[in-house]
Amino acid sequence: MTTPIDTTWLQRSFPDLSDFCPLGQGGQKLVLAAKHHRDGEVVLKIVYPKTDPESVRREMLAVQQIQSPRVPRILEHGIADTNIGACVWLREEKVSGETLRNILAAGPLPADGVLRLGLQMMEALEGAERSQIVHRDVKPDNIMRDFAGDFWLLDFGIARHLDLSSLTATALPYGKMTLGYAPPEQCRNFKRDIDSRADLFALGVTMHECATGKNAFFDPPPRDHLELLKRVEQVVLPRVTLPITAKESFRDLIATMTQKNRIHRPRTIGEARLWLHEICESEGLV
Amino acid sequence: MELYLQFGYGMMEHCRTLLRSWGGGSVILSPRDLTDDQLVRFGSDIRDIPGGNVILDPQFYLPHSDHEKLCNHAYWPTDYATTLFWQGQALSRLLDNLRDLNNRVGCSCFVLPGLFASTVDDDWAETQRAILEEARAKSDNASLISTIAISADAVKDANQIADLVERADAWNAPAYYVVCEHPNGQYLVEDPNWIANVLDLCAGLRLAGAQVILGYCTHQMLAANTAGVNAIASGTWMNVRSFPPEKFNATYEEEIRQRATWYYCPEALSEYKIPFLDIAHRLGILQLMAPPPELDGGYATTLFSGAQPSTVGFGEQAAFRHYLHALHEQVRHRNRESFDSAIADCEATLTSAETLLARLRSANIRGGLRDFTEIIDVNRAGLGLFSALRSAVMRRQWDTL
Repeated sequence: MTTPIDTTWLQRSFPDLSDFCPLGQGGQKLVLAAKHHRDGEVVLKIVYPKTDPESVRREMLAVQQIQSPRVPRILEHGIADTNIGACVWLREEKVSGETLRNILAAGPLPADGVLRLGLQMMEALEGAERSQIVHRDVKPDNIMRDFAGDFWLLDFGIARHLDLSSLTATALPYGKMTLGYAPPEQCRNFKRDIDSRADLFALGVTMHECATGKNAFFDPPPRDHLELLKRVEQVVLPRVTLPITAKESFRDLIATMTQKNRIHRPRTIGEARLWLHEICESEGLV
Repeated sequence: MELYLQFGYGMMEHCRTLLRSWGGGSVILSPRDLTDDQLVRFGSDIRDIPGGNVILDPQFYLPHSDHEKLCNHAYWPTDYATTLFWQGQALSRLLDNLRDLNNRVGCSCFVLPGLFASTVDDDWAETQRAILEEARAKSDNASLISTIAISADAVKDANQIADLVERADAWNAPAYYVVCEHPNGQYLVEDPNWIANVLDLCAGLRLAGAQVILGYCTHQMLAANTAGVNAIASGTWMNVRSFPPEKFNATYEEEIRQRATWYYCPEALSEYKIPFLDIAHRLGILQLMAPPPELDGGYATTLFSGAQPSTVGFGEQAAFRHYLHALHEQVRHRNRESFDSAIADCEATLTSAETLLARLRSANIRGGLRDFTEIIDVNRAGLGLFSALRSAVMRRQWDTL
């Protein structure tokens, strides 16, 4: 992978780091794996200068405020002058494992995997809820499973701080989101309606996908994003079956989490987590 | 679930008689039908009945109406030049006057004034919030009941209902008095969407921890049991069994002029004019329409004594008391063990009514606009939608409601 940032500059600017290995590059940032002399395996994110600094600040703030064991910690951050201008950089805890997206390419998760994923993501999202933060982009691409089988929630890049002013223009017809996972109120940019129940919807869709191996909103492939949006707003996800004792309760939970209107979802992440915890208990998983 | 008596024209003696026979109960008083002095005296009468309880509906739905009887109450504002009576000192004074009246009447709770909302919007919601906040500053929060009065169009709009549930969550009132206008002035509502949304609204309020009294109901709202509603209210004439906002305007013409006596057949969930009971009598099927013992208060016994029903002097007084007693018992016997049993109970009532109605209709015994035949499927569809939206959460939370 070629990067716009000079690699010799990297070594010079981050003398505590070694073994740089590019992990990914988007329009907004360069992500590299590296080794830190004290913290071991880490991730270095270098945010390009054109990125809104406030959104970067809020991403950092979100992770710091949530302080969940299921969200990689930011170990250090700063600003560095690079050959492409001044860049904010973050050094984060590295999760070694695979993204849920990659795992799902091989098929659905086993029942205990779905339950563990749900419970651990709810733990992370409950931390966000307590901090008045909505992740807004829960999906398999933003979830990792480490080698111990535990799941991690990544990328708070479009997280919404409910007690801070919005960074998305109110007049925009569509909000920041990933179509096929975001709930109708987020798709339509009904800002006032976005709270932690938006994350519950997205997690419900993700858990459904993990149980069935496919995202039902994409099956069959939509003609375009408008058709996908209509499906999100109108199609009720097929009732899901897991081979567990509490299959009815699990089915009810997923159906409730993915209700179109947020008033019909669990009122809080905590309420949903308690529900899932009871299911896990009945399966002897907790 | 309980049945409250929704006070209306000519109901004083009905209330006294029924509450005595029930060993108590609650009456929602109507300033539109009683002067200040009458409210105080009647409130005292009811409270003298063991287990008797009164609350006062301030009927502030259309504050700019000039309904003569409402305007004569001390609490009713006289100056409409500005909207200021919804804020500041004017609002404070309104609530002081109302609370004073509530105290004199001996009300157990303070029903707050609430505007009739054609649309659930920011302006209406802000007024609701302001009233509740001002009342909280003056009274024990636990005694407050916030009024939610909404138009048929608002009820039919799922987005407005969702918006209302969200806003109410923030208001966090301990109880709500909910009155929903029927579409097109229908006595029995023919729109299943309306039914589902009323249930959805009530369930949303209950799940948020509030008590709910659903005002101005017919027996169609026995279904409210499935939403965990604490009480439904009903009365004698049609205009206290459904909520016609225009009733609070000066120009409203009393329906009382169009008197007819209707017999409520509780197992058919339908009402019939007496000549149809004559037909049933002559066809030998009148006993099918008799109330079962558990719903029978004895008010309609003469109809089934063997004589032709129209000759036994069954009048409106007995008809009203029979209706309210039977409804009281139907409400009392609703199954509340679990959400699923409440739904099953409701469906069983509909199925049983359907069977009886088919038998009666085959003999051309019909209740016209008060016949439940066409409403069976309306309620079924409404319950079906409500279940699809709420069943999982209601099932889990039922014991906490």
